[in-house]
Amino acid sequence: MFRLLFARRADWAAFTIACVLSLTLMLLGRGEQARAAWFIQNTLLAPANVVVGWGDRAVSVYWENQKLRKRLAQIQVEADRMREEHLENARLRRLLAMSQDNPSDLAAARVIARSLDRLGGSMTIDKGFADGVTENRAVITPDGLVGRVERVTPHESRVLTLLHRDCAVAVRVGKDRVDGVLEWEFGERPVLNLLYVSSQEDVKRGDWVVTSGLGGIFPEGIRVGKVTRVGVAENGLMKEVQVGPAVNFRNLEEVLVYLPADLSRGPRMPALAPTEADSAALHARPDFARAAGPALAAPTARPAQAPRAAAADSVQPGGSR
Amino acid sequence: MKGIRDVAVLIVVLILQSTIVDRIAIAGIRPDLLVAFVIYFGWIRGPVPGVVAGFTVGLIQDLDAPGPLGLNALSKTVVGFIAAKAGYRVHRSNVGVRFFFFLLAMLVHDVLYFGVYAAGDLAAMARQFLFVAMPSALYTTILVLLLLKTVESVSKTLLLTDEA
Repeated sequence: MFRLLFARRADWAAFTIACVLSLTLMLLGRGEQARAAWFIQNTLLAPANVVVGWGDRAVSVYWENQKLRKRLAQIQVEADRMREEHLENARLRRLLAMSQDNPSDLAAARVIARSLDRLGGSMTIDKGFADGVTENRAVITPDGLVGRVERVTPHESRVLTLLHRDCAVAVRVGKDRVDGVLEWEFGERPVLNLLYVSSQEDVKRGDWVVTSGLGGIFPEGIRVGKVTRVGVAENGLMKEVQVGPAVNFRNLEEVLVYLPADLSRGPRMPALAPTEADSAALHARPDFARAAGPALAAPTARPAQAPRAAAADSVQPGGSR
Repeated sequence: MKGIRDVAVLIVVLILQSTIVDRIAIAGIRPDLLVAFVIYFGWIRGPVPGVVAGFTVGLIQDLDAPGPLGLNALSKTVVGFIAAKAGYRVHRSNVGVRFFFFLLAMLVHDVLYFGVYAAGDLAAMARQFLFVAMPSALYTTILVLLLLKTVESVSKTLLLTDEA
């Protein structure tokens, strides 16, 4: 009879059986339902559970991976921004420390443009005469001298850096406080040359070069650079001294413009690390070591060399390009 | 061969239902791909496969469902059977027919499911039907039609043909 029923009405028979089974399951008590569910899950549907579970995990891993990638990219961007802010913070702290040491003399400015040539002889800052900046003011960073203000507009100024031939600086070098003029010289490899140093003077590689304040533009005691090479000129009378600038002109972002009320008093520069030559001098002359301190700024100029140096700080006759 | 393919499709639908559905929910309305599978299966394969698919899928769903064991099995068995019987002479390749057929079958399933689940509480049943069943049925129908259209475009064959 069942066979006959299935042969003629297979669809209805299947439907009836399925409905009866479903209703039977529904009518079971809670405990029996739980047992039935456990049995179905762990015996009849075990293979399907494995396959579905595997697919489920694979898809979940894919989504999680996507989410983590997105999060990683966000964190990367955040870390880059924080690193940039950290560096800026460090730079600004140094500028702030200098400004606080010289509250009325220095105006902080941001470099808003650089010269188009690869040598970097000039730059534009975002302070002009509306901010109290005037021509021929010294521009510095905590590392040392940058250059001088050449042209001023209401809200911007053009700065000639030490790497410009119209920006010569009267300087002082070594433990004997030898005066000279520092000038950029274009050649096969552009260098800063220290001019007018007699072959008799004691200038060594590694000596710090600081402004002498004799030219009337740059206050004395600003660090300019370090002697990188010392030789003697062909005539044997003068020394050929090359100086490496203390400032890295390639990555300047913020500077201080010096607005001196009294040019005789230079800004207090951060302490220098003593060079080998400095150490030797300090050992040899304890009285000098006490007087000079770590900044090695020269307190006085040698009178005999003063007129020559005074000519250096003034604006060059040719003007700037 | 056909049986293996059907099982594979069922597994894919089960995986999609347990992984994707929550992510594509709109305002808490989730599509029910399993009931759509049962309707589709009953429609193209006939009453007996429809009943078997409905009962099996319902039983699998019951294992995770909060309701009584067998409720999904019963409602999906009924809808699989009805879809097979009612869809026998329906113009299956027509998009409009497909839309109303899937929507109606899903609503029948939900009436049965929520009717039993509410256990005579008509207000609760009406609320569930209005705020859960209808939006979900509409969402599922649209999704299934888009899915069918996509598969048919890619494979260049009609999945729901007019021939029985």
